[in-house]
Amino acid sequence: MKTVTPAFLHRLVPWLLPVGLLLGWQAGTSFGWIASRVLPAPLDIGRALIQLSASGELWAHLKVSCARAFGGFAVGAFAGLLLGFWTGTSRLTERLLDTSVQMVRNVPHLALTPLVIVWFGIGEEAKLFLIALGVMFPVYLNTFHGIRSVDRQLIEMGRAYGLSRWGLFREVILPGALPSILVGVRFALGVMWLTLIVAETIAASSGIGYMAMNAREFFQTDVVVLAILLYALLGKLADVAAKGLERHWLGWNPNFQRAGA
Amino acid sequence: MQIAELEYDLVSRAAGAGHGVAVSARGLEKAYGAQQVLRALDLDIAPGEFVAIVGRSGCGKSTLLRHVAGLERADAGTIRVDDAERRGLGADTRVMFQEARLLPWKTVLENVGLGLPGDWRPLARAALADVGLAERADDWPAVLSGGQKQRVALARALVHSPRLLLLDEPLGALDALTRIEMQGLIERLWRQQGFTALLVTHDVAEAVTLADRVILIENGAIALDLRIPLPRPRERGDGAFAELEGEVLHRVLAREARES
Ligand SMILES: Nc1ncnc2c1ncn2[C@@H]1O[C@H](COP(=O)(O)OP(=O)(O)OP(=O)(O)O)[C@@H](O)[C@H]1O
Ligand SMILES: [Mg+2]
Repeated sequence: MKTVTPAFLHRLVPWLLPVGLLLGWQAGTSFGWIASRVLPAPLDIGRALIQLSASGELWAHLKVSCARAFGGFAVGAFAGLLLGFWTGTSRLTERLLDTSVQMVRNVPHLALTPLVIVWFGIGEEAKLFLIALGVMFPVYLNTFHGIRSVDRQLIEMGRAYGLSRWGLFREVILPGALPSILVGVRFALGVMWLTLIVAETIAASSGIGYMAMNAREFFQTDVVVLAILLYALLGKLADVAAKGLERHWLGWNPNFQRAGA
Repeated sequence: MQIAELEYDLVSRAAGAGHGVAVSARGLEKAYGAQQVLRALDLDIAPGEFVAIVGRSGCGKSTLLRHVAGLERADAGTIRVDDAERRGLGADTRVMFQEARLLPWKTVLENVGLGLPGDWRPLARAALADVGLAERADDWPAVLSGGQKQRVALARALVHSPRLLLLDEPLGALDALTRIEMQGLIERLWRQQGFTALLVTHDVAEAVTLADRVILIENGAIALDLRIPLPRPRERGDGAFAELEGEVLHRVLAREARES
């Protein structure tokens, strides 16, 4: 059966539910079951999208938001990876650092927001810092865990075959930890968007969150919902990219091979 | 490709005679916690000799092998390989484990080439061809059968032209037919390349098929050292074969009977 289903139909299946909801929503607003103050019609949102992108406002906000998100992500993921490699490969650093990191991890990073605003003001640094902090822990934990769960027997084999410390890391430990690291990265991407939304909603003078808060003051619910949808879209895109990386790097792993590929 | 393969063949054949190393262990002691595993163990292996170690589960066969490999340090005693004391891993030694231990993220060919310097592909291909898996070079290890994985592991060990090959129950997980095939393959490559071989096995018939000498370990020391003077390749059904196999089995079981 599967072989006769065209590939594009197969791809379409995950989209059926969202599209159905959208149609229902439009119907609900056009027939007046839902007040537009509560929820704007999808077509109004589309109009807002066209207007804002024509004026260039949307792109400016989008660019600012993405720069924040990925800037913070890069810093946080890099720090998390480095820390994870370090504690994962050395018992001494593990003893030195891991307990502290585990303790700090239990503080929700968003709870630090007031303190961070005191430290950095409401400028870019505060947002970058919050995002980096939020991203760092999932990446760290999964890197550490990934390295620790690499098959001991493979490591012994690598040693017995004369691999240097660096060779062992590159050929055995890193690829062995990669599935777990990528799980951390995907999780961290979720944290990244969440932190961005909170940070931009609380204090910003640009970005998608600012656009939404600004529109709220004028009861432009269509712009508010547009901002929410943009966040959702960005989140989806980042997840698709992460999945692509998984397929690319983990092609050897039967769990990550696409069915039929 | 062709030329490289030919060269590889020539190299390995030329190295064949006098290629293996002599191994001698003196007074080897090893304890894990309170448990004494090796007790004043002495062992001598001549260059190019094929020695099989048998013994009951947990008697210290793997431990002895890991010491000869340099993967572990003895509490006391020395291991000499060609008159040089073994400290740490030797570049002239390769180990084949009970599990194939292939890196799942590398192709079959890349696995065979692991740790080879320079232009390793032709060498790795030739070694794969030696174990009859040339056409699987670009597959992931995950899609191979157990026996094929062990053949890849054998190729990976032999591509380094080791002078000492240590095998820790490499065929233990294979079915009987594949096992006999693999034994033939190991014997053929051993005769071609002339390395010294130390094989741990729980299969007495396998030990008698392959080894010049069968050694039984009991109580952390050598309890039996039996020469197998049969001509190769050996026939399992053979009278002399059965007699030797019986002798080893009897010796292993006699102790079990005494103990229970
Ligand atoms: N790293 C270790 N730490 C603690 N004890 C160990 C260790 N390695 C081996 N031992 C113990 O030493 C004894 C000998 O182990 P070894 O693996 O050499 O047995 P073996 O003869 O290879 O057995 P088998 O035939 O089941 O593989 C066992 O009792 C085992 O529990
Ligand atoms: Mg063992």
